[in-house]
Amino acid sequence: MQLTIEKLTVKYGSDIALNITEPIRFCEGDRVGIIGSNGAGKTTLIKSILGLVNYSGTIRSDLKPEEIATHMQFNEYTDAMPCRYIMEAILQTKIANSPQLKELISYFEFEDCLRKKYTKLSGGQKQRFTIILVMMQDAPLTFYDEVTSGLDFETRQKLMEKLINWYSDKSSSLCIVSHYYEELEQMANKLLILDKGKVIDYGQKDALFKKYCGHSVIIFESSPENQVLVEKYHKLSSPSHLIAISLKDEAEELELSKLLLTANINYKRSNNDIEIMYSNAKNAYYKETRRYENS
Amino acid sequence: MKTHKKTRLSPAMILFEFRTITGNPYIHIFGVGMPVLMSVIIAIVMRSEIPDSSALNAAVTGMYLGIGTMIPLATILMGYSATYSQELEKGIPQRMSLFGIPPIATIINRIISEGIFLLMAFVLYFAVGFLVLEINPPVLSGFLYYALCILVLGVISFLLAHSIASFFQKFGVTYCISMILYFGVMIVSGMMGVNYEMLPSPVQMVSRLLPTTYITKDFADVWIGKDYNFMPLLQAFLFTGALSGLLLFISLKKNGRKQFS
Repeated sequence: MQLTIEKLTVKYGSDIALNITEPIRFCEGDRVGIIGSNGAGKTTLIKSILGLVNYSGTIRSDLKPEEIATHMQFNEYTDAMPCRYIMEAILQTKIANSPQLKELISYFEFEDCLRKKYTKLSGGQKQRFTIILVMMQDAPLTFYDEVTSGLDFETRQKLMEKLINWYSDKSSSLCIVSHYYEELEQMANKLLILDKGKVIDYGQKDALFKKYCGHSVIIFESSPENQVLVEKYHKLSSPSHLIAISLKDEAEELELSKLLLTANINYKRSNNDIEIMYSNAKNAYYKETRRYENS
Repeated sequence: MKTHKKTRLSPAMILFEFRTITGNPYIHIFGVGMPVLMSVIIAIVMRSEIPDSSALNAAVTGMYLGIGTMIPLATILMGYSATYSQELEKGIPQRMSLFGIPPIATIINRIISEGIFLLMAFVLYFAVGFLVLEINPPVLSGFLYYALCILVLGVISFLLAHSIASFFQKFGVTYCISMILYFGVMIVSGMMGVNYEMLPSPVQMVSRLLPTTYITKDFADVWIGKDYNFMPLLQAFLFTGALSGLLLFISLKKNGRKQFS
């Protein structure tokens, strides 16, 4: 499976919703996390790939849009019958005749929901219903667009755990849109960062982290005293209540750790924090753009 | 299970679509209950006005066959367009297409399941007609012509309903247009108490374009095997069929998914 996007532009009226200028390639086995704030163009990108919106530019693939499985942000089904019948019609099999489907229903603890109508399901049950259908498609490329949005913490954790386990030994490619970066830290090996319809960066998650954050980051609470304490270190862009320090190697990391321990400051160490990386990638992109425009 | 490999024309999908149709209570009320009730009421009125029993039977049969065209109009033109436009508002057809079900397969599955529903509705309708209203029994050719006309009318109604809902994508507008068409067709075809002969000549010109006009005014004769010139009816079917086919083609083109380069 390979999918290449070249010079893609999507307009809604006169607004440019998405403008991709550099080629983007999804390869077999890729687990791509698509991140960006609201209006960044994440769902528009998925809709373009699925052929649901008009675009100019080129999307090449050995797949047809119909061969891609998709969990959209909002999924609705007929309310004229219980979920069991919808499931059996879409998947063209009786539940009793499909061991794989029975396994998935049991895996997602959906047995009791089969006799209910879709509108009677809870948010988490609705998500699980579509996930079962999507997984049963066994597609070479699958999109998950905000699959855990609107779910409580516990349901979200449980759902992600099941998704991660299910795909852990599979070679199919996944593209996951999420605002919960810890989910992508677990699932994605590549990241596509979008902002206001533009591609900020695309690449291996670890490489992007190194590019924007260094060897590792140490994050702790911001205060005037703490600011003074770490004055000589390279600070990264971070939420105003936090200080994020970029560390270039293990030695520097050890040195700062000791300093913080001595000062009795709680800290968090990471070498894959997507939130800090995203914020710094965006800053770097706009800084470069401004410099280019000024020159 | 690689579901995208399948064409999705299957008994399972037909059953699924049939469940969707029967899940709408209004279809049963307006598509089956109303025609039965209307024909019974009109027949009672006719009994008080026509003393001759053979003339009464012929008149009731003509009326009954004409009212029968309300069934495909109500269940499909009005009922299906309402159901489908509500589905479109919720994004259900798009969701189904994302599972690899081609729109054309959905259309065929739905036409077949609407056909099955029509068959069941007509079994009930004619049971009332023969047992309660004692309509004239048909000759085989008359029955087959009527069945074929209703079937084709059902398909044309479906194509129109699907196209209207696809164009507007909103329940309110779709329902308004399909209601206007439904009542418009009934009035112009002479089903609402004013016969074709009593209509003003400009309206008669429109009437002649509709197959329902010929079914309403002429099928009492066809039903009992009298000679009949089918050409005007055939032309009306060709006209409405071509128009609804064209509308469906445009709506499919408008809403189709873009393919990769």
